[in-house]
Amino acid sequence: MDEVTRHHDADAHVASVLRTLDPDRDRPADVLAAEHLTVGFGGQGVLRDVTVALPRGTVTAIIGPTGSGKSTFLRTLNRMNDRVRGFERHGDVLLDGESIWSPSHDLLAVRRRVGMLFQRPNPFPMSIRDNVVAGVRAHGIARGKQLDVVAEIRLREVGLWDAVKDRLHGSPYRLSGGQQQLLCLARALAVGPEVLLLDEPTSALDPMSTEAVEALFKTLTPALTLLVVTHNLGQARRLSDATILFYDGELAEHGATAQVFEQPRDPRTARYVQGLVG
Amino acid sequence: MIQRAPSTVGETRRDDSSRRVRRAWARREESLWRVGGRVATLVPVGALAFLLVVLAVKAWPAIKVSGWGYLTGSAWLPGSTYGGVEKVHGVAIPVGAHYGAWPLLAGTLQTSAIALIFAVPVSILTAFALTEGLPGRIARPLGFVVEVVAGIPSVIIGLWGVLVLGPFLAHDVYPLVATHVPNVPVLRYFGGSVGYGEGLLTSGLVLGLMIVPIIASTTRDLFLQVPALPQEGARALGMTDAEVARRVTLPWVRSGVIGAAVLGLGRALGETIAVAMVSGSVLGVVSPNLYGTMTTIAATIVSQLDSAATDGTGFAVANLAEAGLLLAAISIAVNLAARAIVRRSGALGAPVGRA
Repeated sequence: MDEVTRHHDADAHVASVLRTLDPDRDRPADVLAAEHLTVGFGGQGVLRDVTVALPRGTVTAIIGPTGSGKSTFLRTLNRMNDRVRGFERHGDVLLDGESIWSPSHDLLAVRRRVGMLFQRPNPFPMSIRDNVVAGVRAHGIARGKQLDVVAEIRLREVGLWDAVKDRLHGSPYRLSGGQQQLLCLARALAVGPEVLLLDEPTSALDPMSTEAVEALFKTLTPALTLLVVTHNLGQARRLSDATILFYDGELAEHGATAQVFEQPRDPRTARYVQGLVG
Repeated sequence: MIQRAPSTVGETRRDDSSRRVRRAWARREESLWRVGGRVATLVPVGALAFLLVVLAVKAWPAIKVSGWGYLTGSAWLPGSTYGGVEKVHGVAIPVGAHYGAWPLLAGTLQTSAIALIFAVPVSILTAFALTEGLPGRIARPLGFVVEVVAGIPSVIIGLWGVLVLGPFLAHDVYPLVATHVPNVPVLRYFGGSVGYGEGLLTSGLVLGLMIVPIIASTTRDLFLQVPALPQEGARALGMTDAEVARRVTLPWVRSGVIGAAVLGLGRALGETIAVAMVSGSVLGVVSPNLYGTMTTIAATIVSQLDSAATDGTGFAVANLAEAGLLLAAISIAVNLAARAIVRRSGALGAPVGRA
């Protein structure tokens, strides 16, 4: 074996070890990126030319007045808008550098990688345990006895295990609102997403539950990348590394959270974060 | 100082008196609703009680003569029609009269079971297509058609069944199954002679077709009531439309779908004329295979009532009344069973009105 080949082999070996240590090593730094994304429904423009990238392992908050396009943006990122009547799109969304609409990306796989938590808890009409593993089952990630293990791990992860371990086969609708939202979070985490889209995830919760859920969000990074739409400016400040302000379908500002709140570049941001509008 | 316009005083007084009159009317209306409501509730309850009592009284001679043997016996013999009368357990009956309802009972349960097995999956898939699978401009007219089919008189469906569907099935479909079935226990039931299209399976399928529109349109309405949020949650988790339907939508409305199926079952159990036309109307035997001729309780009552009236002792009518009593008992039992199932399956179900 000549010297060049040996060097090459050694390099390859090092690369593979590094990949094992950090699976994200060879992937783009931005897990999710919108490029000149314009979205409308039946000729009615909702988002105009949005370009924004989410660095892997960070928390980004989206703030902005009602109707500014925050939720539409979020729902476009895991293709939840695809089937909404009159949905039109220009521009693109890249997941690890590849369009989420590219034929090589399966829709179901995109949604597995880009999970979502909704405004209000939405448990399925099945037992608590079955709720947690519903996605795991659908994707065939685990089965049989393994499902019980998955359920326990995920319920522990969201701090719900002790509260529900004696009623795993009971109805999820008897849990409190905060517990239900944690259950939905456990369900979303169970399929192993890379990105979690949070659509005003605490807007239906009381302050104590909100605090518990927020504390949990913080533990999810850097393994996950979070994008959280919120009307709660305090929540945006507490949680996020970066903040995006949407205004009337446009990305008005995007920067480090401290900068956006303390030295906003756009006058609309200044008025919004000071509570003068919205 | 506050200025009062003098004219308003008189107006207020007039308002007061008319308001008093209106309140008096409101109180009368209130009592009308309360008392009337209670009386109205008695109508269905009273009708059911009256009906059961009358049937039981009419059937009493038959019950006295046959006892439990009525449920296990197979003969349906009116006996001597020339006046020979004998006394059995103190009841005057025609000589040689002998009645057993087992074939009718079996036929009723078999045809209804076939109808349900056919109609429930077809209805659920129809409801899925109408709410999820098809674009609105196709689904809306199609949904309307489904509702129209529910209103087609059963005699027309029976006529079509005996003239078109039955011969087609017996000639082109049944042999495909029947000729390939090995002659072993259980499977044997699906083989053998397929007849000419009048019989058990044809009756069951005709009944199934008749109850599909009821179950399908009810199920579609139920599907439309399921809140979007849990369905979106399932979709966001990467479930297919079919998985969303099976794991979220259907369980969400499970008790309602069971209710719709029971509604359909009730119609299948009681359906008379269509079954009388396609069953072959053969008394006294339980079909040896899936295709044989037979009859049901309801079809027997309508087809035998005329000749039963010629029995001077009234014994034939008594036996038809007992058959009717049996059918009523089955219907009530089915409803009670459905309630029990709904209660049990509702344990994990979604609370009504919850997103």
